[in-house]
Amino acid sequence: MHMSAGQRTLRTIAGWLVVGLFFFPIYFWTSVAFRDAKDIFSWPPKFFEFPPTVRNFEQVFGISLGFGFGNQDVVTPGGGNFYMAPRLWDSIVIASMSTVLAVVVATLAAYSLSRMDFRGRHHFVNWVLSTRMMPPVAVAVPMFFIFKQFNLLDTYTGIILVHGLMNLPLAVLLLKSFFDDIPAEIDESALLDGASRWTIFRRIVLPMAKGGIAATAVLCFIFSWTEFLFVLTLTQTSIKTVPVVSSTFVTSIGTAWGNMAALGAAAIVPAFIVIMLVQRHLVRGLTMGSLKQ
Amino acid sequence: MKDKDRKLYLSSLTDKLVRGEMGRRDFLRLSGALGLGAGALGMGLGPRPYLGVSSAQAQEAVQPSADVIAWLKEVGKPFAGTTLKLATESTPPSNAINSQLKKYFEEATGIKVEIEVLPLEQVLQKLTLDVASSLGTYDLYYIDQSWAASFSQDVFDPREQISAKPDLAMPNYNIDDFLPALVDGIAMYEDRMVGVPYDIPIFIMIYRKDVYEELGLKAPTTFEELYNNSKAITDKKGPNLFGYAGQMKSGHYALECEWTSMLWGHGGSIFRTDGTFSGNDEQGIAALDYYTKLKATMPPGVDGWTWDGQGQAVAQGVAASMLSWGEFFPYFDDPTQTKVSGLCEAVIPPQPIALRTVKDTGYGEIPGVGHQGGSSLAVSKYSKSPDAAWLFMQWATCADTQALITVLGGGTGPTRASVYDDPRVKANARVGAGTTRHLPVVRETIAKYMGSEPDLPEWAQLSSDTIPVSLGKYFAGGYGSSKEAMDDIAAQVGEVLKG
Repeated sequence: MHMSAGQRTLRTIAGWLVVGLFFFPIYFWTSVAFRDAKDIFSWPPKFFEFPPTVRNFEQVFGISLGFGFGNQDVVTPGGGNFYMAPRLWDSIVIASMSTVLAVVVATLAAYSLSRMDFRGRHHFVNWVLSTRMMPPVAVAVPMFFIFKQFNLLDTYTGIILVHGLMNLPLAVLLLKSFFDDIPAEIDESALLDGASRWTIFRRIVLPMAKGGIAATAVLCFIFSWTEFLFVLTLTQTSIKTVPVVSSTFVTSIGTAWGNMAALGAAAIVPAFIVIMLVQRHLVRGLTMGSLKQ
Repeated sequence: MKDKDRKLYLSSLTDKLVRGEMGRRDFLRLSGALGLGAGALGMGLGPRPYLGVSSAQAQEAVQPSADVIAWLKEVGKPFAGTTLKLATESTPPSNAINSQLKKYFEEATGIKVEIEVLPLEQVLQKLTLDVASSLGTYDLYYIDQSWAASFSQDVFDPREQISAKPDLAMPNYNIDDFLPALVDGIAMYEDRMVGVPYDIPIFIMIYRKDVYEELGLKAPTTFEELYNNSKAITDKKGPNLFGYAGQMKSGHYALECEWTSMLWGHGGSIFRTDGTFSGNDEQGIAALDYYTKLKATMPPGVDGWTWDGQGQAVAQGVAASMLSWGEFFPYFDDPTQTKVSGLCEAVIPPQPIALRTVKDTGYGEIPGVGHQGGSSLAVSKYSKSPDAAWLFMQWATCADTQALITVLGGGTGPTRASVYDDPRVKANARVGAGTTRHLPVVRETIAKYMGSEPDLPEWAQLSSDTIPVSLGKYFAGGYGSSKEAMDDIAAQVGEVLKG
């Protein structure tokens, strides 16, 4: 398509505007992390010209960034000060493990639903979907009682299970659609050649669905990374994730915006790394099935 | 100077600082001259444990009483290895205990204390779940004064604990040392003590002395003066500086707090003696009309602010006064956090135009312009370790610990009378982070001008939803008049009370 110079310029400007629109909130939030409290609410607002400080990061991560004071004592996850580095670790463990759990189980389930014919298969798909229809808050309280009974309250195992199960329906449905896009004839050919179902799944279908699995894993990771309600309800003082501890920056005498921004800015990094790691497969996964042959 | 001599000299300096014989500035200068600087002492430049906690005193120098520690060691032995859990709002006392003081209790008793710090509404959610399940997942309850009625049957009355287990009672705990007004306003529901007063945010008048002096104004002593001053400042300094900042976020508890202060100050009350809503009577309408008038002098956007935005408005020099929680004052004095360090003064709230008595109101409501938002600390009846929890509660609320909390916790208001006179607390009454120079005003307000919300199980819903939502609607122009708004609130409150 031929475009005039004016049109190209217009398109470039529009593109940069869209980029700015997405990038500006991240920039502003990150810049808040580098400000003293008195520079955060300056009026008129200062977007660029403020004296930068790393104090908020030092408080949140208990590390010295060059001003000569030592690490903070480890404080319980419940809070009490703004040392939150272990909570970032909690988030990484929970999001990673629950993603692995959801993806492993969902891959097997999705392959079965895609390839195997058994009674009530279609109802099964609807049933999987229906588990996402109930509002999480309706499940949280019964979960609390069950978890207390099984000593799962305030444990990694408990939260990993919940997040894994929470992501399972979505993961199953997504992966099923990816498996559906892989021609069943490939499986049949392999069967004729004497391959078992497990071999076909492991050696042939799984590598072909890598993109879809990567896309599903990213979604599961992000859902777990940002989940609030279950972590709030099912944890106490042993573990907490970033979204929940972020709310502890709200104190009785105001909100520590700088510290909150420091944790928030740091929390972007692990999620960003995960996405970068699977990016190669991601584009293929997200576009898989967009063309029907 | 040899290292040993230097340490001895430092020790002597620290001792003088703790006993109030030396100012912090001199202490820093002399210790700095020793080459030991603030960083070496974990002072000044050190990471602040939380918003509002200052390094006002050398933390190593602030030690608990030897008598208290000796008692804890003796009485705590049988409970060594126990773990206690407490869910609390992020308040200065809780944070000071969690980050700096509980280690003394844990070392002396062998009891581990885990404190979960949460926003207030999440604390309520956790406690409600704990009570509903009777599982005892928390051993101690942090109870906001507006929840006292709801949790009154779920905690031990401390007086009963003292008489039932005299061997576990702390010597000189002196429950009568708690300010009587706070016991009545925070911890009493009918004839039960729902724990003991633990913290006391209370409305005091905070204003910019420099601005007032520049315009020839005096600190407001009446509501009319408050309005006139506020209008004069806004007229002359606006839009860069406004006379008053409110906490008027639609639908938020903050709005209800400020409204009640105005209501009580105009001779009104929330409830009549028969338990019906009285905010729509003549005094109630006058109060809302005044509030509306005052709002016109406030910065734009005030109806999106809770006390957080209100405090920031003063801290950043956008507003020149506020009637709000005294806990803000030490924060305003912190030069690293605000632009108004040393420029603010605290005075008692404006005098009420008229004031009802408790006998004229319902549900134990205590009218007073100094709206209090205090909380109590209590041992849960569902706790698996109530005796160990009782030891912790006594330690956390004894006079010695409260003094340490006040010094380390950024000048928060103590709930015990004796702590206001503690030399360690008085030593911090100077301009700077963690100041206690506003505490005489806080004490006087508690004693003479304190207002407390009514105690009824439905109050949590009314104060955090029904009333502030409708007030927000009124300020957004959703009602034709103040009378119409108040009549509608009266009808809604009636419905809630009917169940």
